[in-house]
Amino acid sequence: MLNWFYIPLQGILNGLLTGALYALIGMGMALIFGVMRIVNFAHGAFLMMGMYATYVVFQATGVSPYYQFPLAGVLLFFVGYATYMGLLRPIRGQVDFMVILLTMGLALILTDAAQLVFGADYHQINIPLLSKNIHIGPQISINAPWLVSFGIAMVLACALYWVVTQTMFGRAARAIAQNPYAAPLMGINVNRVQAIAFGIGSAAAGISGALLLPVFYLFPEVGNQFKLKSFVMVVLGGMGSIQGAAIAGLVLGVVESLTSLYWGNEWALAVDFVLFILVLSLKPSGIFGSQRA
Amino acid sequence: MRKWQLLIAVIFLVAALFVPLLALTDYTLQILFRVFLFAALGLAWNLVGGYTGQLSLGHAAYFGVGAYGLALFSKLGISPWASVSLGVGLAVICAAMIGKVSFRLRGPYFALCTIAFAEVLRLVAKNLPNVTGGDVGIQVPQLFPHSTIRCFYWSGVLLTGFALALSAWIERSRFGYYLMAIREDQDTALSVGVNAARCKLWALLISAAITGLGGALYASMFLFIVPDQVLAMDISTEIAIVAMLGGAGTLIGPLVGSVVLESAAEIFKNIFKEAHLLIYGVLIVVVVLFMPEGIVGTISRKLAWFKKAPSAPFATAAPVTAEEESQRTAINQ
Repeated sequence: MLNWFYIPLQGILNGLLTGALYALIGMGMALIFGVMRIVNFAHGAFLMMGMYATYVVFQATGVSPYYQFPLAGVLLFFVGYATYMGLLRPIRGQVDFMVILLTMGLALILTDAAQLVFGADYHQINIPLLSKNIHIGPQISINAPWLVSFGIAMVLACALYWVVTQTMFGRAARAIAQNPYAAPLMGINVNRVQAIAFGIGSAAAGISGALLLPVFYLFPEVGNQFKLKSFVMVVLGGMGSIQGAAIAGLVLGVVESLTSLYWGNEWALAVDFVLFILVLSLKPSGIFGSQRA
Repeated sequence: MRKWQLLIAVIFLVAALFVPLLALTDYTLQILFRVFLFAALGLAWNLVGGYTGQLSLGHAAYFGVGAYGLALFSKLGISPWASVSLGVGLAVICAAMIGKVSFRLRGPYFALCTIAFAEVLRLVAKNLPNVTGGDVGIQVPQLFPHSTIRCFYWSGVLLTGFALALSAWIERSRFGYYLMAIREDQDTALSVGVNAARCKLWALLISAAITGLGGALYASMFLFIVPDQVLAMDISTEIAIVAMLGGAGTLIGPLVGSVVLESAAEIFKNIFKEAHLLIYGVLIVVVVLFMPEGIVGTISRKLAWFKKAPSAPFATAAPVTAEEESQRTAINQ
């Protein structure tokens, strides 16, 4: 009884739980895009690195990813910082063509390095929390790890929003996004701000990876689908708007969940892309963002 | 310089035609086929990505449509070569639709949009098992009944030759100059009356036709295709990398790029086994960082230093007559 109501509701709830993680991934991407106008094709590879780092620590110490996720964040912050300083800064000012290719190359290197080190096998971890379900009423149930990751992702998303809107770093970053030529004239160290922004964006991907580890499986190419989804989110949210990307992440989660519910799981990614193409062709400035495209 | 490039390429291709007469194993010929196939695909990509400067990362769409066109039309009972042309036609139609939408976007938006279209096609092919066979795959008819691998090799060389001739012609045609004008500055090109939308679309249609043909050849070589093989993003990136490595917007760049990349990939496949794709990544990063104009672009720029300098590098100022002088001062006052 009332199935017509509970089944979609469950679908929407599941979608929101996944969407929170998407939101974190998308916000990282949006921060990087906003400050640097760089489409980071290595974002998925960074997420994959975060997952493997968490996996290694988990195998060595047995500490649940929900406690040790900051490690992945710190690691990926430095990876992102180093990537910017070593690879992206030398080619700043080149056409975005080159940046896309460079990050694509980096993604290939990281993915294949992971394959070389860890092999192509699928890995999964098992923590006690995984078997816990929270029941709300007779029909609705929520898997506990998803709820935990939802909470952590939401807190981090709010923290990221706070950093970008309230701190001096955030103000500098937004100034660069607004006008990359005027910002240095105002005394902003563009290189440093961009490097930190790239680091924070990568850290967001790494932490999302750590949070995904218990509820997902791990293999070298795991990042690809999240990379593609983060493109969708960034476009949906309005290129470079991090709150837009966050909302887009939640929306994407719900859309995917409902698509899987009614059409089957295999269509979820296709629907993402159709949505993406529709937004790009009808309203390229994004649905949720205010910035121009 | 351009004449030399063309001459080298023609000699290389003519020499390549005689390679199968040497006693080579089928495996070697298969690799050489791949070299020429990707040279042709790179040359096709170069029309859009090189001359026009639109970074397409979705050429797998046309490649895959060409491949699946051959498979599906011949399943309906149409003869293989007719299916190839229908498949190519379908790839061109796809290109027209994709181009209509994506060429309205610029820079990274365009690149992302082409990826999205190719991915949608891949997912549709995956998820419609009744039509395309889905992940199980579909059989592709044999295009050459006799001495198969040699014929594939020759058709690869011919396709490269055709793509090269077409590029050489386009490069010197009015159309080619329009394309390059769009690459340099689309707004300025528009303002002097270049119909940018139409030019870009035509470049893409030509490119898609060659790519579709390449896809059909590739599919028929393997006799069996799955979506993750012919519609994968890996194909799109490999095509783009071949052209960029050799030099986007140069005539023989994609040919050089394909020879370098495919032979490097083959060598590293034997050394690194599963992780041979690593070399792609390293090559891309090295090219972007150290020779953004690609191999041919960088070499020809270096060689340009040793070209004969024009006879009067610095024009001497023409003496000003008293009459002109008075006119100038009159204007100034």
